[in-house]
Amino acid sequence: MPEPYAPPLQRQPFEDARPHRISRIVAMADADAVSHFVQDIAPGEPAPWKWTNQKPTVKVVPRTNLRLRYVIDFSVPEVTFKVTGPVTLTFFVNDHALDTIRYTASGEYHYEKDVPPEWIEPLKDTLLSASIDKVWVSPTDGARLGFILTRIGLTQ
Amino acid sequence: MWQTFWALFGAIVTVAACYATGAWILDWAGAPLNRPERFPLSFVLGASVLHLAVFAILSLKIAYRPVVIGLMAVPIAWAIWKGSWRIKGDPVAPLSVALKIFYSVIFSVFTVVYFFHAWAPESSPDGSAYHLGLVARYLRAHGFEQVITNMYANLSAGVEMLFLPAFAIGKHSAAALLHYGFLVALAMAMFAYGRRIGKPWVGAAGALLVYVSPVVGLDGSIAYNDCGVAAIAFAVFYFLEIWDECRQPRLLIPIGLLAGYCYAAKYTAVAMTVYAFLFVAWKSRKIRQCAMVAACAAVMIVPWMAKDWIYAANPVAPFFNKLFRNPYRRIVAEQEYADFLSRYTVENKWTLPLEVTVRGEKTTGLLGPMFLLAPLSLLALRFREGRRLLLPGLLLFLPFFTNVGTRFLIPCLPFFSLAIALAVPWTPVLAALVLIHAVLSWPSIIPRYSAHYAWHLDRVLWKQAIRKIPQDRYLAQNFGPYGIARLIDDNVPKGARVLAVNGVADAYTTHEVLVGFQAALNDDLADILDAGWDESRQPTRRLTFKFPVKTVRRLRLLETGVGAPLEEFKVTELRYFYQGAELPRSESWKLRAWPNPWDVQLAFDNSPATRWRSWEVAAPGMYLDTDFGKFEFVDEVQVDTSFDYANIRLQVEAMDPPGRWTKIAADPKTDLLKPPVDIRRWAGRDLHERGIDYILMNDTDWGADDMREDPASWGFQEIARGYGARIYKVVKW
Repeated sequence: MPEPYAPPLQRQPFEDARPHRISRIVAMADADAVSHFVQDIAPGEPAPWKWTNQKPTVKVVPRTNLRLRYVIDFSVPEVTFKVTGPVTLTFFVNDHALDTIRYTASGEYHYEKDVPPEWIEPLKDTLLSASIDKVWVSPTDGARLGFILTRIGLTQ
Repeated sequence: MWQTFWALFGAIVTVAACYATGAWILDWAGAPLNRPERFPLSFVLGASVLHLAVFAILSLKIAYRPVVIGLMAVPIAWAIWKGSWRIKGDPVAPLSVALKIFYSVIFSVFTVVYFFHAWAPESSPDGSAYHLGLVARYLRAHGFEQVITNMYANLSAGVEMLFLPAFAIGKHSAAALLHYGFLVALAMAMFAYGRRIGKPWVGAAGALLVYVSPVVGLDGSIAYNDCGVAAIAFAVFYFLEIWDECRQPRLLIPIGLLAGYCYAAKYTAVAMTVYAFLFVAWKSRKIRQCAMVAACAAVMIVPWMAKDWIYAANPVAPFFNKLFRNPYRRIVAEQEYADFLSRYTVENKWTLPLEVTVRGEKTTGLLGPMFLLAPLSLLALRFREGRRLLLPGLLLFLPFFTNVGTRFLIPCLPFFSLAIALAVPWTPVLAALVLIHAVLSWPSIIPRYSAHYAWHLDRVLWKQAIRKIPQDRYLAQNFGPYGIARLIDDNVPKGARVLAVNGVADAYTTHEVLVGFQAALNDDLADILDAGWDESRQPTRRLTFKFPVKTVRRLRLLETGVGAPLEEFKVTELRYFYQGAELPRSESWKLRAWPNPWDVQLAFDNSPATRWRSWEVAAPGMYLDTDFGKFEFVDEVQVDTSFDYANIRLQVEAMDPPGRWTKIAADPKTDLLKPPVDIRRWAGRDLHERGIDYILMNDTDWGADDMREDPASWGFQEIARGYGARIYKVVKW
């Protein structure tokens, strides 16, 4: 038995306390990204970006439904844009259409918008997706390419 | 290219030094060996003695490269000078051409696979983690040092002691090649044993059954120690058989040394130490001869026990912590670990025979389907040699039930393989069995019948071995833990410790990585980290005892219930009140706890992120005791705790003037508590206060997503990411 101890230095509360901010963002480079994929995202090893099909969808489990924003980073690549021309993307949260935007040029895009709390049930799977109206279809093997996805998710 | 050369050179020099040492001792002992026995038995015996020499220079803290290389050079020079270097011995009956061709073809084909695999960059999980991680650490420190953050440092490491000179010269691959040397010595010894008993086909078949077995080939070509243990155990048996024939008293010295070396190489091989002692006692019935064996064995065993006693307060660390209580290992963690090792992910133990022979996924490796015929070995009981083989085989088999990993069968495999071979009286049938076993054990054939993720060799790594594919590139692309080790070295300042949830390739980083489950200290740190995000560990339950005011000098919170398996008694904060006001904690207070007296302050530090845990299953009699140093009025006791355990019953007791404990309150009121919104910051600060400023999280670790989504709420900053992991630095506390 060691000698008895005296009480240690007492920890004090922080003066600049703030709560944790939820951010359920699935980055394609994350090692566990594949476990969030639901559909239309190329599987395989994590990578900085991934090709999608028409309606890439991921699932996340937020702990709350308050003050959440839908966030997506993606690219409309020139190579497909030359064939498809301007494209329209519709962003969904649990199949509720959050917004629809037309992109008239190729390039990298960031989009985010507040999500109505009633669309999300805390601690349950929440489906996040972005649907593109036109996909590029490979003339050789029929592969369908929508856009390039970097990350998608919810942040607080 | 130099990397390739030094790896091979390091292994060859170490093998040569072992052989030279052993050969000289055997010449001195006048051991009547046959020619084919000379190399394998000398090598293993020399290994036992040299391991002790390496142990000595590590204890003296003089493990500098010239000293280590000198240690290898001296026995080689001595053996050459004394004429012990030559392969000599009694001649044996020549082998038939058929046997020569049969043995050499199968042996050579598998040797190509194994040799290049051993020579290629080391990428085994345990080899790159602790078998070599600790060797690298001792070399950096030029000797042993107290390692309280890694229970593997407390295991006996007789084979790893020889990795040290190999590693000092040729780094990681040299150690793997040395281990492969043990496998070759084992196969040679088994073959030689068959020739000694006049049954060369039995020796050849037994040796090949072991040598081509998938788990043996894999294990023997990485920096593990199981094949080394098998070779040592078989050498003990072999010397006992020779001694039984000639009764040369000096032979008892190598027998004792090797018997002790079994323990020094792996705790579970202590069965062979016992066997050697009992065999000599039974056969000689002379106390002097038994004492000789025991004394020589003790020479090998005592240093390891002493080291553990000094560094870990437990001579058999990291086991039996309930017997040797210490602040370095939680008893419940030992139980949890033992429980896991006794089953891995095998739910039904009746499936174990199939798992270890054919499937090989849940028990990480397979022996090969041919070993389903192991019960055939019982037919060898009709021979004297069979009975002699099966007894030590059985003794070495028994520890398997404490760790059902397939490789834990390797030490007993030589005995059962020879017994199987002995049981089959027809040579053509025996040859056919071996041939089928070899075909089924070929790397490209294994996936056709094994489980999908069975661990086995899959190809000849010759380009990697000669570094035509550079080592760094190969490891970075094929071995995630190597990349993470590089990430740590590139981003964490020299000397800073890193807390991690899962193990890393310690042998490839110079940083000390504290892995949660590997030591009590790490476990406490991981518990603090987990308290940040895991609500079940946060203080969300308040137990309040109210009682008529008492004037007391000493109070204790006593546990009287029996916890469920692995359920500890835990207290985040323990507070005393009088008329609604908390008694301020004073330096004159004396805090005690039982068990785990070392962490009692965690229940009195005012932090919701730290907690005292009993470290063993909750049981009546456990307590937290406060001596106020003077009489105080107390009418309320509050216990803040978590919801991750249930089966406890608490009461508050006061010490009366004669020194007896008297119950003053029980049946507390339970309230729900809301932990602070910034509990992650509390956790981050507590880690910082304990010297942890860097946290490594794999993206798939529990809690990784919480940290990733808002590192600032922890007071962390992400400083590096890659290979499926991130490193955070504590920047605000």
